[in-house]
Amino acid sequence: MADGAAAPRDETGTDMTKRLDRWADPPLLVLASLADEAKHGYAITQDVAETMGVRLSAGTLYAVIARLEAQGLIEPLDAVDRRRPYRITMAGAEVLAQQSARMAKVASLAQARLSLRFGPTGA
Amino acid sequence: MSSPPPDPRPTGLGRAGRREARGSQSRLARAALRLYPPAWRARYGEEIAALIDDSGGALRPAFSLVLHALPVWIWPPRHLHDRDDSMRASIGTVLVAWSALAGICLIFVQLTEFQGFRPAGHPIITWCYAVVDAAVAVSALSAVAGGLPLWLLMLRRARREHRPREVFYLLLPILAPGGFLAALMVTSRLVAYPVGLSPQLFLAFTLAGFGAVAAACAGPIRAMSRLRPRGPAVHLAARAAGAAAASIVVAAGASGVAAIGLCLWARNFGAYHQVAQVAGYLAVITASAAAAALGATRATRAARATRGARATLAGPRR
Repeated sequence: MADGAAAPRDETGTDMTKRLDRWADPPLLVLASLADEAKHGYAITQDVAETMGVRLSAGTLYAVIARLEAQGLIEPLDAVDRRRPYRITMAGAEVLAQQSARMAKVASLAQARLSLRFGPTGA
Repeated sequence: MSSPPPDPRPTGLGRAGRREARGSQSRLARAALRLYPPAWRARYGEEIAALIDDSGGALRPAFSLVLHALPVWIWPPRHLHDRDDSMRASIGTVLVAWSALAGICLIFVQLTEFQGFRPAGHPIITWCYAVVDAAVAVSALSAVAGGLPLWLLMLRRARREHRPREVFYLLLPILAPGGFLAALMVTSRLVAYPVGLSPQLFLAFTLAGFGAVAAACAGPIRAMSRLRPRGPAVHLAARAAGAAAASIVVAAGASGVAAIGLCLWARNFGAYHQVAQVAGYLAVITASAAAAALGATRATRAARATRGARATLAGPRR
């Protein structure tokens, strides 16, 4: 996604990227977990724990799911045996792509500056 | 999509005990879920229960669920709520908190102004009395003006549909305080005391008064949950709840300031020199004011959101 692209906005006109920043990592982790396929709550916690090393508690996970769903960044699918999968929406994919690009930019900048100051091993 | 992993723990005599411990933890987590708004529970409750069952240990989920319950009440996810349900629930919350605060403020007035106590040279206390009086009056007027149309709407419907139980619930705001006042008048005539009521009787009547207020609140709330009224009367009541809550919070705040003032500057008056009692009073009014403010915010937000949603559905006017 191009850097200059307009940020998606919610129903109140607020820039969703900025709003997402305010409550930091867990929403991004959930969006990242749902980026490849739909998952239910337990599968999300397992995926986030295994791939990103973060354990999301039930309270945190469903607070995030409720917010992401309210903002239209994820959507629920039909429940199977009490477990309801969620999948990322196009708006959610856009937000995730924008955030990932920003994080990648920050990460590469940090790596480069650390390398300049401390050498390749310092980064 | 991954499925729950098999339990890697060894089988044996300890397994039943572990299962029992897990069962009680799971019950704890389910109890924690009850702290959430009904709409939230209806939407996510089963999923969370499944997640807890799949995860095994339930102590950490229970703790995290408790931690996240309050923000959900304060900032309820918009997509979940039936606006009218939300307004009705919030009106109920405001009604309870408002009644508690109004009762507390009236007791405060009884224990200060009605005793003829106006400390000279302490204008802050005198001003606080005036603010309490005015705010209680504004609050009561707002509550009556906003609540009466909803009450009449429900009463008419309950009578039309021949629902005597709902009629009884709706009449409780008249019956309970009426019964209390009748009992108060009869008792005060039977039990003569040189100056008003004895302290024990005053305490007994205060408690009975709060019981009457609780019954008066519970009636309309129960009727609302059974009749589920909708429409402009609910919107008006939601907005009036906001106004009534705001003014009763002002009254409670002024009474708190006056109580602190009496504690600091008028130590010979009543029990206001007892710091513990004043602190308890302040804690109760703060908690009630917080409940009133929270309920009023939710009610007003739901009323405004419904109006916004209707405007969106109606589209641009030409």
